[in-house]
Amino acid sequence: MKKLILYLLALSVFVSGCSRSSDTAAADGTRRPVIALMPKSKGNAYFISVRNGAERAAQALGIDLIFDGPTDPDPAKQNEIIENWITLGVDVIAVACENPEGISTALRRARDRGIKVITYDADSAPDARDFFVNQATPQGIGYALMDEAARLVGPDGEFAIITASLTAQNMIEWQRYIEERRSTMYPNLRMVALRPCDDLKDKAQSEATALMAAFPNLELIMNICSPAVPGAAEAIKQAGKVGQVKNIGLGLPNENKLYVHEGVTDTVILWKTEDLGYLTIEAAAALANGSLAPGATTFTGSLGTFQIQGDNILLGEPFKFTRENIDQFDF
Amino acid sequence: MPTSSKSLAPQRLPATYRTEVVLLVVVLLEWLYFNSVGPRFASLENSYDILRHSAEIGLIALVMTPIILTGGIDLSLGSLLGLCAILFGKLWRDAGLPLPLAGVATLAIGALAGAFNATLITRLRLPPLIVTLGTYSLFRGLAEAITHGVDTFTNFPASFLALGQGRWLGLPAQAPAFLAVIVGIWILVHATAHGRAIRAIGFSAEGARFAGIPVSRYTTLVYSLAGIVTALAAILYTARLGQAKADAGTGYELFAITAVVLGGTSIFGGVGTVHGTLLGVAAIAILNNGLVHARLPREAAGVLTGALLLLALSGAMVPKMVERLRAHRRTRTASPPTPGSPAPP
Repeated sequence: MKKLILYLLALSVFVSGCSRSSDTAAADGTRRPVIALMPKSKGNAYFISVRNGAERAAQALGIDLIFDGPTDPDPAKQNEIIENWITLGVDVIAVACENPEGISTALRRARDRGIKVITYDADSAPDARDFFVNQATPQGIGYALMDEAARLVGPDGEFAIITASLTAQNMIEWQRYIEERRSTMYPNLRMVALRPCDDLKDKAQSEATALMAAFPNLELIMNICSPAVPGAAEAIKQAGKVGQVKNIGLGLPNENKLYVHEGVTDTVILWKTEDLGYLTIEAAAALANGSLAPGATTFTGSLGTFQIQGDNILLGEPFKFTRENIDQFDF
Repeated sequence: MPTSSKSLAPQRLPATYRTEVVLLVVVLLEWLYFNSVGPRFASLENSYDILRHSAEIGLIALVMTPIILTGGIDLSLGSLLGLCAILFGKLWRDAGLPLPLAGVATLAIGALAGAFNATLITRLRLPPLIVTLGTYSLFRGLAEAITHGVDTFTNFPASFLALGQGRWLGLPAQAPAFLAVIVGIWILVHATAHGRAIRAIGFSAEGARFAGIPVSRYTTLVYSLAGIVTALAAILYTARLGQAKADAGTGYELFAITAVVLGGTSIFGGVGTVHGTLLGVAAIAILNNGLVHARLPREAAGVLTGALLLLALSGAMVPKMVERLRAHRRTRTASPPTPGSPAPP
């Protein structure tokens, strides 16, 4: 047994010696850029769809794509994978940050080693990355929701908003832009109520039921947190007010498909997650070859030209999922 | 004291020796395989990555070893890591303590939490599994309650972050603390009479009590030690990530227990070694790191760790089974057993 161990030890030293020499040989030759893409969590349908877009981009651009991320709830996992990628020597790291503060440490180290860093979906600390691919600005979301409400209801009428909580920062910001759009473009549309649902579907359902009882002239419910969209839809269906009260909101296509086909929910608003993946990889590749550098104001890829605000690459207008197109999306 | 422990060595070695040899071969095979597919795997830098990423779980596995040797278990250590991390952050940011003082206070809190576990076990005579299952929820719940689940502690000074991210004499900054705990626990378990007492408790707590071993005192010792070292792991974790959050260390206790059992320590107590635990930690850490270098899906880590555990344990059983089979044959040739009668063990 001792001999076997000694033999294995000797072999491992020998092999590691060999492989190191082959490594240096590969480094100076021209090779495909390696981009490592990390989701918040691997099993999430949202990120699976991002990955599909990323893989298409990688194929089109001739890039080596590594897709990896945490599968368990350990908050240190994203950092560990990033640190492994640094050692692995990838060219660009693209990451959706679960813990912005914690992961920034690892990302800064990556940048110190000359690795380009891009964030998408959820940003890190601004000094820990080169660019953030921003899928939607609060203004884009607020305006899209209000415009869609006006398209469905007409120039005058009553609508109500169901939100997750009255204190959530991002939702307060969306409401600000919804109100801005309403007061300038549709002054005769009146928001009669704003109710929180604590990000719970059943609470949203009871809130929607109460709203319809309290405001008999209510024409539309606007849901700005994703569990509320199917929640309000169920309430409208059970109250027998399908068609009379319209339902729109921010949400995922899959959890709303049924209601959209039944005509209860009219429009679900989000962004094309595949495009988010595609754009992230395209921007990462451009960053690697130097065609995208800090200070740029636009980025042109095969999906079109995108605005850059500061160091945010904007994916653009939110996408509207309706009865006509919702079946093409699976997340 | 070291001389007296040697008398026990010949009895102890054969039982665990085989697991460790099997595990050593497994670690070497892992190393060889990942080295052949990942060009940077064998680099010094990557070895440091492995050490950095396994330091906290390694520390918990090290202190879990004497606990399991007494026939106990501590499921609360992962949660305690989370609690210590956020209390450390709170003492520093909200109570305004200087970082070294906050660190010392955190170690004391860890010790108290461990002693709390031990008190419930020794005074109320509750099984360690039940007690620590309770504190597993209690410690994590406290951490979440104190931070309301959202508060995180960040913006630590760079001098503190160096503890988790920097280098010390070229080695990862965690190395000195890790090494000190390895040496300390190894001496405790293998080179002192305390180690023998701990194993004796694992073989039979009642027997040890009759032999005059202060069982409660040793129980308090091993659980409090686990608390202190877990607090240390919490500080290193905070320094490595640059943030303290209530969900820190989720699931670490199970990784640690896996490493300990993989290292040949009997879950029933009495049998096991500290170096076995270290090999167990290495086997899991190399696997987790190597999968990234081999560009294999990380999901495989769970499957492979499980397979490794079962393989190493059954591998260690092979010689025993062969022996049993031989003994069985011998008795059969000597006197064929009557049909239906059970084979002699």
